[in-house]
Amino acid sequence: MTDITRRAVLGAAGLGAAGTALSWKRLTGLDIPGRGADQLNIAINGTAQDAAANQGLIDAFSALHPDIKVRIVPIQGADWSDFFAKILTLVAAGTPPDVVMVATEGTQLFAERLAHPLDEFVMRDKEEMREFFEDVHPSLIEAFMYQGNLFQLPLSWNAANMYFSSKAMERAGLDYPREDWTWGDFQGHLRQMRKASTGTFRPFFWTNRLWGGVVPWLYSNDTSFLKPSRYAGGEWLWQQFYPGEKGRSGGYRWAEPNADDPKVLESFEFLQELVAENLGSSPVQGGGNELVSRFGSGVIGMTPSGGYWVHGLNQAGMKRDDYDVAFFPKRRTQQHQFGTAGYAIMRASKRKDAAWEWLKFCVSNQGMGIAQKNPDSNSARRSHNTKLYKDTGPAHWKVFYETLDRYPTTAPVPAPPQEAAVETALIKNVLGAVTGSRSNVKRALATLQRDLELAMKES
Amino acid sequence: MMGVPVNPAAAAETPVPSIPAAPGRRGEGKLAALLLAPTVIGITLFTLVPIIGSIVLAFFDWDIISTPKFVGVKNFQTLASSPTIRVSFLNTFGFVLIAVTLQIAVAMTLAVLVQSKMPGWLRSFFRSVFFFPLILSAASVSLIMSYLFNEDFGTINKLLGLLGMSPVHWLTSTTGAMVVTVLVYVWQNFGFTFLLFIGGLASIPQDIYEASDIDGASPMKRFWQITMPLVSPTMLVATVMAIISALQIFDQPYVLTKGGPGDSTRTAVMVIYQSAFQELQFGLAAAIGLVLMLIIMLVTWLQFRLSKRFVFYM
Repeated sequence: MTDITRRAVLGAAGLGAAGTALSWKRLTGLDIPGRGADQLNIAINGTAQDAAANQGLIDAFSALHPDIKVRIVPIQGADWSDFFAKILTLVAAGTPPDVVMVATEGTQLFAERLAHPLDEFVMRDKEEMREFFEDVHPSLIEAFMYQGNLFQLPLSWNAANMYFSSKAMERAGLDYPREDWTWGDFQGHLRQMRKASTGTFRPFFWTNRLWGGVVPWLYSNDTSFLKPSRYAGGEWLWQQFYPGEKGRSGGYRWAEPNADDPKVLESFEFLQELVAENLGSSPVQGGGNELVSRFGSGVIGMTPSGGYWVHGLNQAGMKRDDYDVAFFPKRRTQQHQFGTAGYAIMRASKRKDAAWEWLKFCVSNQGMGIAQKNPDSNSARRSHNTKLYKDTGPAHWKVFYETLDRYPTTAPVPAPPQEAAVETALIKNVLGAVTGSRSNVKRALATLQRDLELAMKES
Repeated sequence: MMGVPVNPAAAAETPVPSIPAAPGRRGEGKLAALLLAPTVIGITLFTLVPIIGSIVLAFFDWDIISTPKFVGVKNFQTLASSPTIRVSFLNTFGFVLIAVTLQIAVAMTLAVLVQSKMPGWLRSFFRSVFFFPLILSAASVSLIMSYLFNEDFGTINKLLGLLGMSPVHWLTSTTGAMVVTVLVYVWQNFGFTFLLFIGGLASIPQDIYEASDIDGASPMKRFWQITMPLVSPTMLVATVMAIISALQIFDQPYVLTKGGPGDSTRTAVMVIYQSAFQELQFGLAAAIGLVLMLIIMLVTWLQFRLSKRFVFYM
C-alpha cells in the first residue's frame, strides 16, 4: 500500500476545497436561472412549454412596465393538491414565488396561510378595475373571497355542464334536452341511449374527483357533503362594484360535515342506481384528458365537463355539431358547481406592487386576449368568453356563461383550507357508495361523515 | 523455507520476531479515512441527519409554514387512533405477504427453469426479458396498466369479453384493485429476485447434482434436498430485500387507484405522503415513517434470527 504523506493529504484536501468552491453555485442552487435576481417570480401549474407560451403576455406587460422584470416558473403538479404541495416546499425552502396561480381548490388554503388580500389594491385602483368587474359575474368574485377579503381575480373558470354525443342522441331518437330537464329525464335519456347502442358504449361516464364527480349531483339536489354557509363581510366590494347585487357575502364557508343529510343519501342512491343499471360507469379516478379521446371516439353518450373540453375535442377531430352541451339536470334546484382560477399575491413577496400590476394586466382585455387564445377554459370575462366559443364551440356554447347568469346561486366546489384531506375523504368513499348494493350507500356515507369529521378536526 | 529453523530446540531459542510496524500503516489509515470520507459525509448528511430530523419531527406539529410546535406523543396517538392509518398498515402487511410470496415463487420457478438445460442464447434472452420491467418507471408502468385494466374500455376486459366472460371490476372493487396492484408489482419486480436466484443456482457445484443422478434422485427430490438448501442463503437475501421493498410500496397503488376503492389499497407510505404533502401534517407523517422504519428493522432482524434454522452455508 502506498504511504500517504501529510503533504498528499493536504493537497487532496486543497483540491477538494477548490472543487467545492468552483461548484458552490451549483451546490447551493445559485445557478438556477433567475434565482436571487430582482424580478417578479410567477408560479404556474404547468410545463416549461406552458411557461414559454406566456412569453407574449410577458412581452406585452414589459412594454407597459419596463421596470418590472417577470419570470414564469412552471411547476408541474399531477393535480392542484400536488401543485400546492410543491409551492409550499418552495416556501419552506425560503424561495417562495411572488405570485401563484391558484384554483378554487387552494383559494382558502392560500388565503389562510400564504396569500395577501387584494382589498387595498382593488380599492386604490377602483376606477381602473370597474370595467373588469362589470364584465365578470359576481359568483366568480365571491368564490375568491375569504372572511370578507378578496384574494384573487378570476381569469378562467369551468362549471360542470352536461356534454353529449350528437350521434348517440340521434341514434336514440332524442332531442336536445329542455333547459329545466330533470334527473328523471336524464335517466330516461340514458336508458334510450343504451337501448339504441351496441358494444362497449357507455351512456354516462364520470370520474371520481371533487370537480365534476358527485358534487354537481349534490348541488342540484340542494345539498353538499359539507354544510354550506357564508362569511360575513365583503360589503366594501359589493357596494363598490356590484351595487345592485343582493345576498353576496364575504366568501363561502365550509365548516361542518354534511354527509348524513338525507338529500346526500338520495343523490348517492341515484348514482348507485345508474351504476347498478349499467347506465353509468363505476367512476374511475383521474382527469379529463383520457375522457376526451373516449368521448371523441363515440363510446360515451354523456359526461359532465366544462368549457375546457371544447379545444380538446376540436383537437381530437370532433366537429362543432358532433357534440353539444346542456345545463346540468335538476332535482330540487338547478344549482351548478364550478371551479375558477386566478393569480394570488404571496404574503412573503417583497414586490407586491409589481405583483398587483401583473394581476391587473392579466385580467385586462389585452391580457386575457393574449393569454387565452383557445377555447380551453371559460374566460372570467363574459365578453372574452363569447370570442372564445362563438366560432369554435358547440351549438349551445352560450350555456357556459349562462350557467352563472341563469343560475346565480351556482357555487364553487367545496374547498375549505383543509381541502386536500376533505377531497381525499370524498373520493375514497364515493366508489364504495355507488358500486355494489343499495345497502352499501348508507355505510359508505357513514364512513364519509367520519372521515370528514376527522379532516375538519385536523385543521 | 529460508530462515525458518528446523530444529525445535533451536526454534525455542530463536526469538520470535515482533511484527514490525507495517510501513505506511499510519498512511494507510489516512488514505482509508480520505477514501471513506465522501461516503461517510454523504450518509451523515443525507441519511443520518434526516433520520434524526424525522425522529425529532415526530414529536412536533408542523405545517411547513408555521413554526413547529412540540406536541409530545400526540402524533403517535393520532396514528394509533386513525382508522385510515390502521387500515393502511394492515393493507401493507397483507400486500407484503402475498406479493413477496408470489414474487419469490415466480422468480425461483423461472430461475430453475432457465438454469435447466437450455441454450445459452435463450437463457440470456429470458434473463433480459424478465429483468426488463425493473428498469421501467413504476409510475409509467402503473399508468399503462390502469388503461389495460380499465373496467369499461380496458384491453383485459375486452379480451375476457371475446372469451364470453363478463367484465371484471379490476380497479373499482376492493379485491380487484388489490389483485391488480399485486400483479403489477410482482410483474415489475420479480426480475431482480430472479437474477439473484440465477446467481445462487449457478454457484451450486454441478458434481452434487451428478452424484444425485447416480443415486437416482428424482427431479423433485433434487430440488428440495439439494437446490433449496444450497440456494437458501440467496433465498434469505432475496426475501429480506423483497420484504423491505414491498413494505415501502407506493407508486403502483398511488397511480392505479390512489389508495381506493375506500382505503382498500392505501399503504403506509401513501399515508405518509398524503399526511405530509397533501394535508401538511409533517409531524404525523414523520411519526408514521418512524413506526414503519421500526417495523422494517424488526422484520429484518426476525428474518436473520429465523434464518439460522433454515439457511445452509456450504
